[in-house]
Amino acid sequence: MTTLYSGSLLPLAVLVWPLLLGLVPAIPRWRNRALLALPLAPLPALGYALAGAPGALFVPDLVLGVYLAPVPGAALFLGMTALVWIVAGMHAALTLPPGPQAGILTGFWCLTLAGNLGVFLAGDVVTFYLAFAAVSLAAWFLVVHERTPQALAAGKLYITLAVLGEAALLIGLMIGVAAAEDLQIASVRDALPDAPLGAFAIAALVAGFGIKAGMVPLHLWLPVAHPAAPVPGSAVLSGAIVKAGLIGMILFIPVASGWGSALIMAGLVGCFGAALWGLTQRNPKAVLAYSTVSQMGLMLALVGAGSGNVAYYALHHGLAKAGLFLCVGAVAAAGTARARLLSMGVAGIVALSVAGFPLSGGALVKLAGKDGIASGLALGLTLSSISTTLVLGWFMLRLAQQDAKPDHQPVWPHLFAGTATLGALALVVPWALWGNVTGFQGSYPLWPEHVLAALWPIMLGLGAVLVVRGRALPSHPPGDVLALLELLWVREVQVLKDPSRLRQNATKGHRRAALRFLLRSRRADKVLQSWPRAGFLLTAVALAFALLIGLAD
Amino acid sequence: MSAALPVLILLSSLIPAGVTFFLAQDSHRFRNMLNLGGATLKLGLIIWMLRAVADGASYEATLSLAPGLVMLLRVDALALLFISLSATLWFLTTIYAIAYFGTKAELSRFFGFFSLCVAATTGLALSGSLISFFIFFELLTLSTWPLVAHKQDKPSLAAARVYLAYALPGSAALLWAIIWLESATGPVLFTDPPDLSTLEPGALRAIFVLFIIGVGVKAAIVPLHGWLPTAMAAPAPVSALLHAVAVVKAGAFGVVRIIYDVFGAANVVALGVGLPLAALASVTIIWGSVRALQQDEIKKRLAFSTVSQVSYIVLGAALASPLAMIGGLVHLIHQGLMKITLFFCAGIYDERAGIKTIAGLNGMGARMPWTSACFSIGAIGMIGLPPLAGFVSKFYLGLGALEAGAPWVLGVLVASTLLNAAYFLPLLYRLWFLPAAEDTTGDDRAPALIGPAVVTALATFGVGMLAASAISPLGWATLIVTREYGP
Amino acid sequence: MTALVVVVTLPLLAALAVLVLPERARVKLALGSVALGVLAALMLARAVWQDGAVLLTLGGWAPPLGIALRADGLAAALTLMSALVMAAVALAARFEMRTRRVGARAAFGFWPLMLLLWGALNAVYVSRDLFNLYVGIELLSLAAVALVALSGTAQALAAALRYMIFALAGSLLYLAGVVLSYAAHGTLDIGLLGERIPAHSDALALGLMTAGLLAKTALFPFHVWLPTAHAAAPAPASALLSALVPKASFLILIRLWFEAMPDLASPPAILMLAMLGAVAVIWGGILALVQKRLKLIVAYSTVAQLGYLFMVFPLAGGAGSAQPWSAGAWTGAMFHALSHGLAKAAMFLAAGICIAAVGSDRLGDLRGLARQLPMTSFAFALAAITLMGLPPSGGFTAKYLLMTSSFAAGQWPWALLLAGGGLLAAAYLYRPMAALFAREARVTARPIPRVWQAVPLALAALSILLGVLSATPFDLLQIARPEPAAEGL
Repeated sequence: MTTLYSGSLLPLAVLVWPLLLGLVPAIPRWRNRALLALPLAPLPALGYALAGAPGALFVPDLVLGVYLAPVPGAALFLGMTALVWIVAGMHAALTLPPGPQAGILTGFWCLTLAGNLGVFLAGDVVTFYLAFAAVSLAAWFLVVHERTPQALAAGKLYITLAVLGEAALLIGLMIGVAAAEDLQIASVRDALPDAPLGAFAIAALVAGFGIKAGMVPLHLWLPVAHPAAPVPGSAVLSGAIVKAGLIGMILFIPVASGWGSALIMAGLVGCFGAALWGLTQRNPKAVLAYSTVSQMGLMLALVGAGSGNVAYYALHHGLAKAGLFLCVGAVAAAGTARARLLSMGVAGIVALSVAGFPLSGGALVKLAGKDGIASGLALGLTLSSISTTLVLGWFMLRLAQQDAKPDHQPVWPHLFAGTATLGALALVVPWALWGNVTGFQGSYPLWPEHVLAALWPIMLGLGAVLVVRGRALPSHPPGDVLALLELLWVREVQVLKDPSRLRQNATKGHRRAALRFLLRSRRADKVLQSWPRAGFLLTAVALAFALLIGLAD
Repeated sequence: MSAALPVLILLSSLIPAGVTFFLAQDSHRFRNMLNLGGATLKLGLIIWMLRAVADGASYEATLSLAPGLVMLLRVDALALLFISLSATLWFLTTIYAIAYFGTKAELSRFFGFFSLCVAATTGLALSGSLISFFIFFELLTLSTWPLVAHKQDKPSLAAARVYLAYALPGSAALLWAIIWLESATGPVLFTDPPDLSTLEPGALRAIFVLFIIGVGVKAAIVPLHGWLPTAMAAPAPVSALLHAVAVVKAGAFGVVRIIYDVFGAANVVALGVGLPLAALASVTIIWGSVRALQQDEIKKRLAFSTVSQVSYIVLGAALASPLAMIGGLVHLIHQGLMKITLFFCAGIYDERAGIKTIAGLNGMGARMPWTSACFSIGAIGMIGLPPLAGFVSKFYLGLGALEAGAPWVLGVLVASTLLNAAYFLPLLYRLWFLPAAEDTTGDDRAPALIGPAVVTALATFGVGMLAASAISPLGWATLIVTREYGP
Repeated sequence: MTALVVVVTLPLLAALAVLVLPERARVKLALGSVALGVLAALMLARAVWQDGAVLLTLGGWAPPLGIALRADGLAAALTLMSALVMAAVALAARFEMRTRRVGARAAFGFWPLMLLLWGALNAVYVSRDLFNLYVGIELLSLAAVALVALSGTAQALAAALRYMIFALAGSLLYLAGVVLSYAAHGTLDIGLLGERIPAHSDALALGLMTAGLLAKTALFPFHVWLPTAHAAAPAPASALLSALVPKASFLILIRLWFEAMPDLASPPAILMLAMLGAVAVIWGGILALVQKRLKLIVAYSTVAQLGYLFMVFPLAGGAGSAQPWSAGAWTGAMFHALSHGLAKAAMFLAAGICIAAVGSDRLGDLRGLARQLPMTSFAFALAAITLMGLPPSGGFTAKYLLMTSSFAAGQWPWALLLAGGGLLAAAYLYRPMAALFAREARVTARPIPRVWQAVPLALAALSILLGVLSATPFDLLQIARPEPAAEGL
């Protein structure tokens, strides 16, 4: 008997705890109030991240041998993920109505969370794929939770793309594993460039992760799903879940080859294109979704450039973007003008941070991101602040127009507290980690040239917002290229459905012919019954035998 | 003892079968005891043997009918893989069937043939020679016919007729192949692969094709699959058994035996028949899925899904690389668990809520949570999401395909995954997301019906979750391949 | 030795005795003699099994002066099979051939005719003399014709007449051949003929005898008497007619082509025999497919099944007899004769029960009968399995042996025919089965005693058992086989 496991059980506990909580709704008595478990689920993960993500674990018997080892930057990713999920969980527990649907949501919320944490802990390909599938597919339930036609349609799109992504990943991972003859992620990544069909595998992986990470042009689901999902669902989707795609890119794509430039290209297109397209949206959550696509594009470009600070950037973006989404909820819940103003204020501050306002967390992570990359890309990073400011400014304008939801008013203070905390963390945590992560001294961000470099794009952006403000911008439904695709899809399905009728008739025809032949055979038998023929035959056979026997002699 | 064991295992379902026929229709109690007793005994024997065979033991019993006609029953690792599946699922299906039928008429006939069918499957698994394989293969055909026709209404009888119309020519082809081969090599025992050098490669190819036609009918390889969807007219426990354990599995198992124990993987590759078979299996996988997509009846959709899924096993065997073979073999078990879960659930929907079509599933997740949960697990397993059973098979198949130098198989696997998702996810969507129609009734308060489904659903989860352990189906399949077909 | 005498004389004596007894005692005596006959057949088989062929020279005169009876393995096996079928037929007839059911004449006539037929059969099995064989087969034909005519209806008389004319024509041709042969060689003993000096007239003699015997065996194209005769005869008589009567003339063919004149078996002649057999398989199958009455389906099935028997000629006859595969082919054909006998008798007896239950054998009237007559339907199904040649029945063993030989001989078209014939059998037997097992609400069947129902079931089970335990009959058939070639494959 081999040992059950080797190493530390801590990483496993991080994953098992949310799964256990996910079973709470299975108990009928607890089902209706199961949402209360949501904020508790990520706590071990937070603790683990604060401890610096120590230890690794190998369980040989589980699945195909589960190997848990924190990936580079795991503590940052895990910490961000845990925080986002905690606050969003609180928001969900406060705002979502209890009932059986809440039970279903709880189960899948926890499963999604476990998957989301799992992608940062997986050391082997299968565990990674497992975690990725969990986060990707279970999130379906977060998207469709409200069961409105819009949510259901968004869910359909989401799950279609998610399944396509899973399939693409499976191809890539299998080719990698076959080439590496090993399940370790590191060996698969090393084996991929030289593997037979390696390029194909990498392309499949880029596509698979790209779908999740909202890489243009695979970002379709993001702007459709976010407005449809409940606020906390959108928060975790944009804040944490999309990072699963990002970590996949980091772990598997060998950027040293040409793939790095491809990622940079796609990333930059997404970064600017999505931000501009976001201006065509009316729903603030849709605007935010496009902002996410834009920001993820930036991060993908950083991954492609081989930057070591992507996790740091992602940390800030996750906290801030989740905070912004929750602000949408807080604004909606605000009953008084003061509450609304406060909520809007938090949103504005966080938005500025995302844009990279000097001395904010966002400015820090951008600064860190510029380190060690080509100057062209660094310039792109700077310029992105303009577009981000523009789209988030537009978001603020749209948010101000949003109606209040009276039924959430009583819990507004709690919502606001959570949101504000998350926003504050987005501003502060990058400072706290600055030295550890970048290795620069603490005063580096305070250098005037850095402050200036961060400031002018924002000013430009704000100016653009003022220009845009009064104009009648064209309005499009979320999902840009989707409309075209939908058209093709529907036609294809209709073509598939027809052919069965025709064939049935054909077989009937055959059957009739066979029957006719059989009935004729009966008449033919009668021929043999007539005496003269029978007698003739008898004689003929006798003679034939005699002849045939005689022939041999 | 070593000769008695295989016979005993066979008798553990044959005797209940024989006795059940002569029971009065209303002696429900005794009949149930008898069938469950047989099933339990068999499970016990198998568990006992699993340990011994893992340690390298093998059991044999021989009966010579006529010169060249040798009945050989032999327990080896591969046989045990198949019987443990059939014994476990027989046990569960018996419980399910008892609950499903209640006290309806003609139950003695039903359970008699039901046990006979399992006995045939067992014999098939235990067969150590081609001829005993054929004999049980035919017994299976015959014992399944009354099961398919059980309802005795028009569609059932038509389905039964179609079944025979496919199965008997298939058997004729199989017999033809066996005799052709044996006339050149003498009786073929699986332990001792025949010397194929006496036959021309062309003849060997023809024999191989005949073999595949013979078992392919049962394995529902396109274009020999026509009977399977019509056989849906049978009652749910029969469908469950047919699709998960008995008939299609017998076909798939036959493919494995023929490739590995009759021809030998190396010969199959050398003859150049492996790849065409793999291609045919791939076509089946895709075609079955595409057809499943077009079905509105739940059971029909599941049936076409079986057509597609069983060819995974064929594909694994045809690729003839160790990893692919592991994938194929383990899918023998995995597909069984998943598909029987789905059919159990389809039966429950039909029986408890009168739901036959996909549209009827709207909102049933809330009304029948247990059934729907089991159904969902089965469906997700079929799509091949980790950590459920289907993923493990698919992963090994994919790696095996790359190992065999056939990367196009990956495309097939992925296409199948997508198609599976396309025809299963809408079901889950209806179950869980759409509101129920006003006039739907139904609940799942029938523990004897739900119980088996829950067990198989848990098993679907368990075999995937613990796949790497030695006692899992994957562990056993690995043992088979490394021990018996290893390099 | 004693057993051999009993087997031949007992039925004839009993046939005479039942003539003078009243109905009760008549049935009792017939049943008793059948029981005794089974016992004697078993003893004979045992004797052959232990000591090889049993030879009996009447009055101690060896041929050519005297007449010899000889039971080899084949004869013993056929005797035993016939005795079993007879026993079953007698048991069934005890219920069926009652005065109030079939009228006084049939109830009276059946028993002596049955026993006479049995005696003639046994005589044919063990005779080694062409003229004795003629007498035996003539007696057989007469008894059979009378059985067909038993019901006395116009249809029955017409059928009997047709049968009789075929039988007589066959007998005449056969007799002509015998005379030619005797004129040339001065002996009628099969063993001595095997050692004769070839004469020119031999070809004609064998041709005549063969044609005559084919007419009696109902091989295509001389099968036309058989279905009409079956349609008219009572079911137990049909059972005899299909299961046993053609086997007798077939056996004579075997004796002629394998023992008396094997040197004349030229390839084209053999091919023609086989071709006729092949056409019979297909033609009989197709016609069985289009019949509407159960008995006619079964009758045409006989036409088809008899065709298989003739596969023995290309595979084991002529030059092939010295080949290693001939043992398999020969035994396969004989296995087929045995299992077909058992299964076909079971089917006809089952058909008889159906007719007794619903008064008709139209398929439409039989719908849903399985519920009332489960045992009978099951018997029919088991017999069908044998006829289709599905394992583990005797029919399968036969088919397997024949197919193996045909591959070994390089004559695979015959194997194709065997496989195709099996499928055809499945197709035509499916219709009555589907009718029996259909769900029909309004079936009113007269009750049938369970013992009667058990009879066909026992026979059908025996035909299956023949396959499961085929090793012993296989060895029995080998004993004193003509031209024992190298053992099996």
